[in-house]
Amino acid sequence: MVRHDNAVPVEPRGNVVTTRLATSEERVWSALATVPDPEIPAVSVVDMGMIREIEVVDGSAWVVVLPTFTGCPALPIIKSDVAKAVGAVEGIDEVEVEVSFVPPWTSDRITTEGRTKLEGFGLAPPTGEGPVLITEIGLPKIAICPFCGSKNTHNENPFGPTPCRALYYCNECRNPFEQFKPV
Amino acid sequence: MSDALVSLLTALADDELVLGHRHSEWTGFAPHLEEDVAFSSIAQDEIGHAAAYYSLVGQLTGDDPDALALGREVLDYRNAILCERPNDDWAYTLVRHWLYDHADALRLEALEGSADPNLAALATKIRREERYHLIHADSWMKRIARGPVEGRTKLADAVGKAFPETFGLFEPFEQEEQMVKEGWLPVPSDESRTRFLDEMRTALDLLGLPTEIHAHTAAKAEFVASSSGDLISSEDKDAAPEDASDALGGRKGRHTSDLEQLWSDMTTQYRSNPGATW
Repeated sequence: MVRHDNAVPVEPRGNVVTTRLATSEERVWSALATVPDPEIPAVSVVDMGMIREIEVVDGSAWVVVLPTFTGCPALPIIKSDVAKAVGAVEGIDEVEVEVSFVPPWTSDRITTEGRTKLEGFGLAPPTGEGPVLITEIGLPKIAICPFCGSKNTHNENPFGPTPCRALYYCNECRNPFEQFKPV
Repeated sequence: MSDALVSLLTALADDELVLGHRHSEWTGFAPHLEEDVAFSSIAQDEIGHAAAYYSLVGQLTGDDPDALALGREVLDYRNAILCERPNDDWAYTLVRHWLYDHADALRLEALEGSADPNLAALATKIRREERYHLIHADSWMKRIARGPVEGRTKLADAVGKAFPETFGLFEPFEQEEQMVKEGWLPVPSDESRTRFLDEMRTALDLLGLPTEIHAHTAAKAEFVASSSGDLISSEDKDAAPEDASDALGGRKGRHTSDLEQLWSDMTTQYRSNPGATW
């Protein structure tokens, strides 16, 4: 699977000597990096690892989006924001946004930069390395407080204000906070 | 050709939609705030899963997912009757949530191996999310089962009411033979039911709750705790008991007045303006 975690597309340098196709794709990635997650505007859909792949052929762009949670109510907004941003890229006349569950989006798709931005937004990034094993029944042991960095926290509710968030409390700085659920 | 696949996806979607709607009825009314949040979120998950299944149906039939969810008549729904029952009290809500989500977990595990790649991928995704439902349901069952006697009694009563109706979740789907043959449904419903009953009996026994469904051959004793050693004969123990017969038929479109009431609430908005966009 092609991953674009560190795709920080830049404007082509100097004269474009590569194919026009590659250039358009870089521009599309650039545009996607400006599309915020509607519920967590601090991060983009690229930061969240929600873009599986793109392809540009003769001015037609095809973008595959992986929803973070199946029932995410923000999905129609994300689709339309993605279509709008990509449609505004020079040389793109047509955009098709496809929603896919292959592979299933997992929280380890969030980029390092995305995790930092989540913390800055006051939302603890998901804990654990790699996808959470389905057999691990039990709450994630640690959520690190995004305000004071303490690991001395406890879960208040595995559910929160959106399908992707759980509620925690920091025993150290006594702030309630939310964690983006590992999934 | 793909009629059987449509039948499978529709039943899966209808279970999730109808139970999701019941869960959403706790929004604003749950016994405490955290549970208000939890049941609202679980409801949102289940309805989201239903929407994803309906979209797969739509890809096969060309139907609009919203119309599939809300534009059909009561008798067109294929959900198990267990899902349409009213929430009753908190104990019944929790027990049904626990039984349903464990049944759903088994179903999803099997469907990850479905010959239909879209269904297999969706099952993988949904299963990861459902992990949180199991955590929630398991922790509440433990909490109340190990708590004061009043709660335990209510929980035991709720098990008595909901457990027999789980047979409706494992009633064969319409065209099940075809879906098994094609590999769309990798594990037949009766096999899943046997595994479900085994798992749930073990879990109920650990919680000190009644584990046996009153089988139709046994004349007395509504429940027999398995820890007492009084087991109903093994050849009959998985047969649907008489008092569960009311719970069967959902997969064929037989429903109770409970679904009529729910359907009426759930589809009011849609029926007043079909096809409206927001």
